[in-house]
Amino acid sequence: MKTYADLVGDGGSNIVAQVQQQAARLRDRLSHVHHIVGVVSGKGGVGKSAVTVNLATACAMQGWRVGVLDVDINGPSIAKMLGVRSYLPKVTPNGVLPAQGPFDMRVMSMDLFLPDDATPVLWSAPTQQDAYVWRGTMEMTTVREMLTDTVWGELDCLFLDLPPGPDRLPNIAGLLPFMAGVIMVTIPSQVSQLIVTKSLTLAKEVLPNRIIGLVDNMQGYACADCQTLRPLFPESGSAETARSLQVPYIGGIPFDPALAQSADEGRPFVLDHAETLAGKAFMQLASAVQTYLQTRVSAGDTP
Amino acid sequence: MKFLCVTCDEALQHQGTAGPVEGVLTVRFGCPGCGWEMAMYMNPWETQSVRSLDVKIGGQSVPAEPMHMMRSSLSQRREDMPQPVQMSGTGAEEAPKCPFADVVAQAFNETQAVAEPVAEAGPVWTVEAEKRVSERIPSFVLPMARMGIEKYARERGYREITPEILDEAKDVFMG
Repeated sequence: MKTYADLVGDGGSNIVAQVQQQAARLRDRLSHVHHIVGVVSGKGGVGKSAVTVNLATACAMQGWRVGVLDVDINGPSIAKMLGVRSYLPKVTPNGVLPAQGPFDMRVMSMDLFLPDDATPVLWSAPTQQDAYVWRGTMEMTTVREMLTDTVWGELDCLFLDLPPGPDRLPNIAGLLPFMAGVIMVTIPSQVSQLIVTKSLTLAKEVLPNRIIGLVDNMQGYACADCQTLRPLFPESGSAETARSLQVPYIGGIPFDPALAQSADEGRPFVLDHAETLAGKAFMQLASAVQTYLQTRVSAGDTP
Repeated sequence: MKFLCVTCDEALQHQGTAGPVEGVLTVRFGCPGCGWEMAMYMNPWETQSVRSLDVKIGGQSVPAEPMHMMRSSLSQRREDMPQPVQMSGTGAEEAPKCPFADVVAQAFNETQAVAEPVAEAGPVWTVEAEKRVSERIPSFVLPMARMGIEKYARERGYREITPEILDEAKDVFMG
């Protein structure tokens, strides 16, 4: 009797071919995006989205064409922070036109498809029984659709704002094996270091040599009056964490109350506060990321 | 997934897919050697698992619209967001014979879907529209027709079904 391997094709169900087509369409769409960078952290509440928004804006201020995809399907915040929540995505035969943020930044988020603030992401299905099994697949398929079907145009860099959880990066890395790299965000607390250490170990596994670096968010409190840095957490072991895991430490970003206010107002902080301590930190971070990406290109080290 | 006809030692070939009806997808396979046929029924849970991958058993006859899976699967979405026009099931076998059947089929598929806890509110029928469909549409097709009209209205963001909406839908359905 013939074995599974003896049977050529899939009997006409065409599933494998469709999955391959999906991958081909994804690669085709992103062929005009020079670099894809993920902003990740195993830990929630460390300010990934704030870092993503301000890093992307700082890159745009330095002349890069950038896009941001909110990969947090269930807790999207990017559209709010970039002031594009009211935008209705336009569906064209070529794809869905993204919202345009500052500096013509291309923005796509699940938030643009939801009717109001209170509505969570819920899926209709023939049955809700054991929905936990397929809900994760629906979310990843949605991310793939957003990547594939958004008309990104020509971009120097597309930033992905990932939701918290160490498991998210392997999923994205599987979908985008050609990602340029990831930035890991932490805060100066031991609890955060504990989780981020796991995430970094995993990131090194799934994206070898593509850890752009560790960023220490909320590293001190930037006094709005005197622009001096004061301690916010008892100590910061982030640089040591990076050293022990042999990943670059690419700096700290002070907390500035105007960061939260800017996010609420839908205007990236760095646009109006580039000369503050936090603003300068974001601009330096943007330079570091661009240098990393350009170095990879120069070395021919692109996935 | 592959199937083998043990008698002929030949791979069964996909012959068609029907449904989903009440979440059950029917996939037919046949042996090219002896002609033996079998039907595989996928339960609602299995159907949804396949749907989550955004694939159709037997292949797509036409390319999916952009973000089709997400837009057609959200229980609640912006009312001004255009709804994809293609079938959202996992494996529509054949194109329906007429536009009206297409809309009804889509509506049927959609009503089989169970929304997650917060259900989508449907459009409201005015008394005049109710009266008109009950007078003009035979009772045995009325439930299907109502579903098709409600789906048409939902897709366009109408909160109320009036006689004018019925005229508009009729023009679309009947070409």
